[in-house]
Amino acid sequence: MPALNALYRDYRDRVEFLVVYIHEAHPIDAWQLDSNIEDDVLVATTRTADDRHRVAGVCVTTLGIELPAVVDEPDDRVERAYTAWPDRLYVVDKTGAIAYKSAAGPFGFRPSEVGATLESLSALPPPIETA
Amino acid sequence: MRWVVFGLLGLATSYIALFTVVLSAMLGSPHRFGLFMKHMPGVVVWGVLPAARMWLWARRGELVPGMAAPDFTLERQGHGPRVTLSSFRGQRPVVLVFGSYT
Repeated sequence: MPALNALYRDYRDRVEFLVVYIHEAHPIDAWQLDSNIEDDVLVATTRTADDRHRVAGVCVTTLGIELPAVVDEPDDRVERAYTAWPDRLYVVDKTGAIAYKSAAGPFGFRPSEVGATLESLSALPPPIETA
Repeated sequence: MRWVVFGLLGLATSYIALFTVVLSAMLGSPHRFGLFMKHMPGVVVWGVLPAARMWLWARRGELVPGMAAPDFTLERQGHGPRVTLSSFRGQRPVVLVFGSYT
């Protein structure tokens, strides 16, 4: 989280950052992790929008996430479109095209790669204005 | 000698069966995968199989850099205002961080 917060602080004037809160990675009703039990992060699969918004709020607050967050629909439609579970990073350029897609999380979740992409996007010359 | 061959064949068959079952689970929905892993001893999946590579392949997805990012409209956390991805087109790049608390 610190790495993403730092990127956010550096680039927020030029780049939009959105956390998209999705289906839980390790809910208590499915693949619970010992580390979550130790950290007291015990969350059931969120089945309603209200539940998901509530848990997303707890997450953002507890983890100190500075980025704005949106919440995926209970049918996980955006997660499915982006094959995003359990976590994943994308950068969309100004034309709406995907500039960067991380490898599947957790293995591929590397904020430094986002930083490198943003740097290269900033280095590109501005588009030629057509009169 | 025969028994060694049978033993090896048995092991190979078990390995292929395990590989197939785990890969199918990885290709299923996140929730189903979670339920599968709940009942699977971790050491079997992570110790015996090339699980990370299987996962990276199973979850590669259809999107490729250069393709249009699928549009969406979602509410800000706390039932806040709706945000549409395509509204940023022509304005600024967007970083999408997908994740959850657990």
